[in-house]
Amino acid sequence: MADNLPTEFDVVIIGTGLPESILAAACSRSGQRVLHVDSRSYYGGNWASFSFSGLLSWLKECQENSDSKEETAAAWQDLIHETEEAIALCRKAETIQHTEVFCYASQNAEDSVHEIGALQKDASSVSDTLTEPLHSAEMPEERQSDITSNEIPVEQTPRSDSKVSLEESDTEESLDKEKYCGEKTCVHPVSDGDMVENKPTVEDSTSQPKRNTITYPQMVKESRGFNIDLVSKLLYSQGSLIDLLIKSNVSRYAEFKNVTRILAFREGKVEQVPCSRADVFNSKELTMIEKRMLMKFLTFCLDYEQHPDEYQDFQQCLFSEYLKTKKLTPNLRHFILHSIAMTSDSSCTLDGLKATKNFLQCLGRYGNTPFLFPLYGQGEIPQCFCRMCAVFGGIYCLRHKIQCLVVDKESGRCKAVIDHFGQRINANYFIVEDSYLSKETCSTVQYKQISRAVLITDQSILKTDSDQQISILIVPPVEPGACSVRVTELCSSTMTCIKGTYLVHLSCESSKTAREDLESVVKKLFTPFAETEVDEEELRKPRLLWALYFNMRDSSGVSRSSYCGLPCNVYVCSGPDSGLGSEHAVKLAETVFQEIFPSEEFCPPPPNPEDIIFDGDDKQPDVPGTSTVTVAKLESPEEGENLESPLQN
Amino acid sequence: MSMEDYDFLFKIVLIGNAGVGKTCLVRRFTQGLFPPGQGATIGVDFMIKTVEINGEKVKLQIWDTAGQERFRSITQSYYRSANALILTYDITCEESFRCLPEWLREIEQYASNKVITVLVGNKIDLAERREVSQQRAEEFSEAQDMYYLETSAKESDNVEKLFLDLACRLISEARQNTLVNNVSSPLPGEGKSISYLTCCNFN
Ligand SMILES: Cc1cc2nc3c(=O)[nH]c(=O)nc-3n(C[C@H](O)[C@H](O)[C@H](O)COP(=O)(O)OP(=O)(O)OC[C@H]3O[C@@H](n4cnc5c(N)ncnc54)[C@H](O)[C@@H]3O)c2cc1C
Ligand SMILES: Nc1nc2c(ncn2[C@@H]2O[C@H](COP(=O)(O)OP(=O)(O)O)[C@@H](O)[C@H]2O)c(=O)[nH]1
Ligand SMILES: [Mg+2]
Repeated sequence: MADNLPTEFDVVIIGTGLPESILAAACSRSGQRVLHVDSRSYYGGNWASFSFSGLLSWLKECQENSDSKEETAAAWQDLIHETEEAIALCRKAETIQHTEVFCYASQNAEDSVHEIGALQKDASSVSDTLTEPLHSAEMPEERQSDITSNEIPVEQTPRSDSKVSLEESDTEESLDKEKYCGEKTCVHPVSDGDMVENKPTVEDSTSQPKRNTITYPQMVKESRGFNIDLVSKLLYSQGSLIDLLIKSNVSRYAEFKNVTRILAFREGKVEQVPCSRADVFNSKELTMIEKRMLMKFLTFCLDYEQHPDEYQDFQQCLFSEYLKTKKLTPNLRHFILHSIAMTSDSSCTLDGLKATKNFLQCLGRYGNTPFLFPLYGQGEIPQCFCRMCAVFGGIYCLRHKIQCLVVDKESGRCKAVIDHFGQRINANYFIVEDSYLSKETCSTVQYKQISRAVLITDQSILKTDSDQQISILIVPPVEPGACSVRVTELCSSTMTCIKGTYLVHLSCESSKTAREDLESVVKKLFTPFAETEVDEEELRKPRLLWALYFNMRDSSGVSRSSYCGLPCNVYVCSGPDSGLGSEHAVKLAETVFQEIFPSEEFCPPPPNPEDIIFDGDDKQPDVPGTSTVTVAKLESPEEGENLESPLQN
Repeated sequence: MSMEDYDFLFKIVLIGNAGVGKTCLVRRFTQGLFPPGQGATIGVDFMIKTVEINGEKVKLQIWDTAGQERFRSITQSYYRSANALILTYDITCEESFRCLPEWLREIEQYASNKVITVLVGNKIDLAERREVSQQRAEEFSEAQDMYYLETSAKESDNVEKLFLDLACRLISEARQNTLVNNVSSPLPGEGKSISYLTCCNFN
């Protein structure tokens, strides 16, 4: 690194997750000198997205024992003066647990039809080519040609200190064709006993198209065609993240697609939930009478406050009970409860009505569902805020570790940090993502967990004319009291998976390990890929090519006061929460910003570069030392810029 | 500026080591000036210049790194949906040339595979301090299938040519794509900026 890092800043921000990145943009925008660092080689922390091989490297890194990798860093203890105290930061974040990987796709690059069983034989002779850790690479993660391994050994890493209750996993029940346990490959027979009940909904039985087969080597080869998010989130079209993106103009760094369908899972079937007027009328699933009932009810919900007589007596009742009184069929009640209101079974009528109304209002903003998804994945969003910070002078340093906070004993304030070079960097305010805080600092903190699954499949869970659908599906819990599972299915035009595949994210609040929490839903919706087709029934389900389970720590509920011994000018940001939107991160960023700079506006719109037009002949005089641009000509602000299509004819 | 004001719109992105003259190239082209000092322009995201080529109005949206290249921390999203990349090195700085393979790897990972890349050796006004011969650079760019040009942002040598040639290539590429490829395939940029998303009310 030819360049030396400056050592005087107003704000030092450690971690590039969404709240930290929003804060970086906000601080920089309001004129603060910002240093934004991350010890990782990529942006986003637990909000990041990865190419396929990038994800494999990430997994590898998650499993590395933190102690085994003692790094030589300049000793900082000697750099602390007598009047100071140090608060050590954590070497390696440990927020991911119970990672389990299953590969079902063919390992054979040449063809897709070959003997079953043959491919598992050499699983134990796993090559080490995939071990290149993320940090060691000069450039981020992958180097495609390096990845020649055709097996990915990924260990189960149960941790004894886990808050998640660990049960011995019942391998009998596992649907895996093959499962990698460390270096050994355990082959489990597919038990399809409980899959029979699942009837596919859209039956294109006239022509069962020959399925294309994506092989594992192909997925590795086209690795960068994947952008796999660690979080499973969407943007509410009326949500605070969209509002912030628009207000701050950060939205111009990203592009979005509408979620095209809301699906429901009922009696073993995946169905599309009709939610716009057109949807309701075009629905094939609903009878005429149902259509009328649904329209009537939704229209009522839009201004339910005006009709108190319709619900007053039921206000405190369960919403599900209330729906029964509205003469709605079970079908419709299910749609409204789980897919439109997205409330739990225990929600009361008033909450249900409020949520339904909200849903309908969100529908109005963009397209026929209330959700948006960013092209290339959610991991783009933190980066967009980082760019905004950089544009206003913020300095960026990935792969930059901070060893400790330096606290002035007398004032009790943090005055500097010391980085891995032993360099002291001074600032007035410090914002730290909580995974950088040491065990000592967090000794009394209680965490929740999120259970996640990432699947690569070969077909959509609900096939239609278009193979480019973005869908969200809420699978209600089987047992009352358990959590519902949120499923989002992304198609290749979201730029998150390669053609011929779908990327499916599952998530719920954890009660056990991710696989224990989610596998039953995976089984209901998918069938493992097998070279020989066994079952006509199973054939119609999308096939799993690859699956990953992991638990992610959810620190969103942790209050600032539960951290021990942090100076008042050190602010803490949490990792991703389990919610569908990113409202928590936005709120957190805004709250912290307002605390530090109460009189500053939070992310006001920057001048629009579209308005700055320089005519070639209209030469501007040099203005020494200025850092502002000379505006040659102001044009009327434009609505927005469609960067995409070069052709505007 | 409304849609009708131009025939083509292209996003051009500059990359390369810090100090090679990327910002100067952009400002020379868009503003016609050579800024004194290391003038990072605070608050400017991208610059716009509309040029006319064979009677067609081409709007160039030129993005600078915002300094994130300094510590090798450019965001992936910077590369997304770029139509062209200008990969710049400094002919008086061997190191900036030796880093090119690293930049190419980054391009390969994050940029669209349809992107046009131009290699630019800047600061030819400092010929007496040249460390990278033209021949070496030509060989390298040929091997990597890139266009190559040497410029001076200071003396305004080849700067117009750089951008205008690029615009020409982008136009012919775009024409070819629409001819060959009128089946809509998911390409980067198929998504919409928020303000372009269609509305569809429940009512
Ligand atoms: C179409 C639709 C849009 C939604 N938009 C948002 C949103 O923009 N922001 C959000 O936090 N949650 C939104 N939700 C609610 C979200 O899905 C979850 O219900 C909620 O986040 C769960 O939070 P909770 O039960 O832990 O807390 P709750 O106490 O249920 O809610 C947490 C926060 O979310 C707000 N909220 C709840 N329901 C909605 C709603 N329907 N629309 C807008 N705000 C709501 C509440 O006012 C509260 O501030 C939306 C739901 C739907 C169906
Ligand atoms: N002599 C000469 N100096 C240049 C030229 N282009 C840029 N510079 C100088 O190189 C330094 C870095 O330029 P800058 O545009 O900020 O580089 P960037 O970091 O790549 O954006 C500045 O001091 C410029 O004045 C050039 O063509 N000739
Ligand atoms: Mg620059």
